Amino acid sequence: LHDHGQMLAVGLRAQMEAANGADGFISAGLASFGIEADEVELAVMGAAHAMFWPPILALLELDTGAVAPERDPDLSQAPLAR
Amino acid sequence: MSTEAALDLPLRGQAAAIAAGEVDAAELLEAALSRIEQRNPAINAIVETFPDRSREMLAAAPEGPLRGVPVVIKDEWPLPWRAQRFGAAEMQVATAPGESGPYRTLRDAGAVIVGVGNMHELGSGSTGAISYYGPACNPWDTERCPGGSSSGPAAAVSARLVAGAVGADGIGSIRYPAAYCGLTGLKPTFGRSAMAGHHMAAVSTTIVSGPLCADAADCRLLASALFDEELAAGDARGLRIGIVRDTVTDDVAPDVRDACEAAITALREETDGELVEVDLAELEAAALATVLIANTEGLSGLHPSKLNALNPELSPIGRGLLKYRMLLPAAASVKAHAVRTLMRRRLAAALEKVDVIAWPTVPAVAPPLAAPLVELPSGTLSADQANVRGAALANLTGAPAISVPVGLSDGLPIGLQLQGSWGRDELLLDAAEALERASSRRWVDALPPLAETASETTGT
Repeated sequence: LHDHGQMLAVGLRAQMEAANGADGFISAGLASFGIEADEVELAVMGAAHAMFWPPILALLELDTGAVAPERDPDLSQAPLAR
Repeated sequence: MSTEAALDLPLRGQAAAIAAGEVDAAELLEAALSRIEQRNPAINAIVETFPDRSREMLAAAPEGPLRGVPVVIKDEWPLPWRAQRFGAAEMQVATAPGESGPYRTLRDAGAVIVGVGNMHELGSGSTGAISYYGPACNPWDTERCPGGSSSGPAAAVSARLVAGAVGADGIGSIRYPAAYCGLTGLKPTFGRSAMAGHHMAAVSTTIVSGPLCADAADCRLLASALFDEELAAGDARGLRIGIVRDTVTDDVAPDVRDACEAAITALREETDGELVEVDLAELEAAALATVLIANTEGLSGLHPSKLNALNPELSPIGRGLLKYRMLLPAAASVKAHAVRTLMRRRLAAALEKVDVIAWPTVPAVAPPLAAPLVELPSGTLSADQANVRGAALANLTGAPAISVPVGLSDGLPIGLQLQGSWGRDELLLDAAEALERASSRRWVDALPPLAETASETTGT
């Protein structure tokens, strides 16, 4: 997919419309890193932001304080502690 | 038996026929290459063949369990004569030809790599709709997504270009295409299958290599090679099947839900097992946590100057998502690891009560390549957004999972996912075989129109 129209067709249109409020976050974030982006890339990032940001905020609100850390977990095994 | 007919045998059948002297391995290789030439243009599953290298592999093949059997490997692994491209015009890490773990295990088992399978660009999608090589197409309907990111390996096996292929699964990338293409696909326990040589091997805590085949017995054979360990067949009798009431089972297209529920019932009956409801709260947080972990593990290779000089042939989505990764908050990444701990404990607790947990692999059948959207009870979602819900837990926790074909809806395959405990990959294969028996192999033996038509044309 190499043009804007095709990108819209892959399911990002709704998210892009909802992403208008993300402009400040994305442009400021990119500027702080010195990262350049063209209009299409910004639209993709806006769509991604609309998709990811609300659940990220929900994740940050999730209380995991009672979860004792599993240091250096061995993912090939079940956790040692339940 | 004609060589053409041998190409339609399962992986284990090809291996047995060669070992018994009923089929000449050199003739089988040439037939496979011819079939790729014939069928691949319609599906773009294989992006490169190298007949001389394949012939050299065959000439040097040891007397292993796959001696002389043609297979495909995803564009995610280096070969001695070819660096991986990861489905992209440019990767953000240096790559070079070499002996990857999957290559070595295939070679040592006697298999012959006949081609490199297409994949979703940078492994970052569940549909296969974006690739440097152009998308692979679903053999069941070439206007539909084959699933990703192991799109080419799945399409190649589904169209019976080969009987087995090696994919990789970082967030469902073996199971999505298995479901979309009507195959059996195993995501092994983390660390159990060959990973050496993968450009993310040193940092990834989600990616594994694994087999895509028509059925569980072939997956067992190919996985045994990838694990460098024989996976013995067992008995799934008395199987305790966990079911979950959550978005992964509720927000699902009706045909998919019905087929999966029927399959779970059939599995219980076939194994004389039982259904047990289990609680796995926070599955949506688990999916996001997996995405965050997978997307931040590669960040050490990214920096602003590199992002300002991305190859313009990368898709706009690929370029945009690479840059967006830099904006993900560290606090969310830390929280994602806490969710991983939480979900590992919850899954372990659930798997003390049951042997497997079952739910639809993906909530809808393969969407159109031109617009990979799915219609669910909650509304229209991008396939990526919908698919990750059911697949992520296995990658987050490290536990194994398998997708098994259990039906068709409007001519498109439906997959049921079974998840098991760490190291119990064999039990998932046993359960998948029980499901095959329960349906008299109806779904694993179903052929897509492309393979059926081609078989009639060639008289195979």
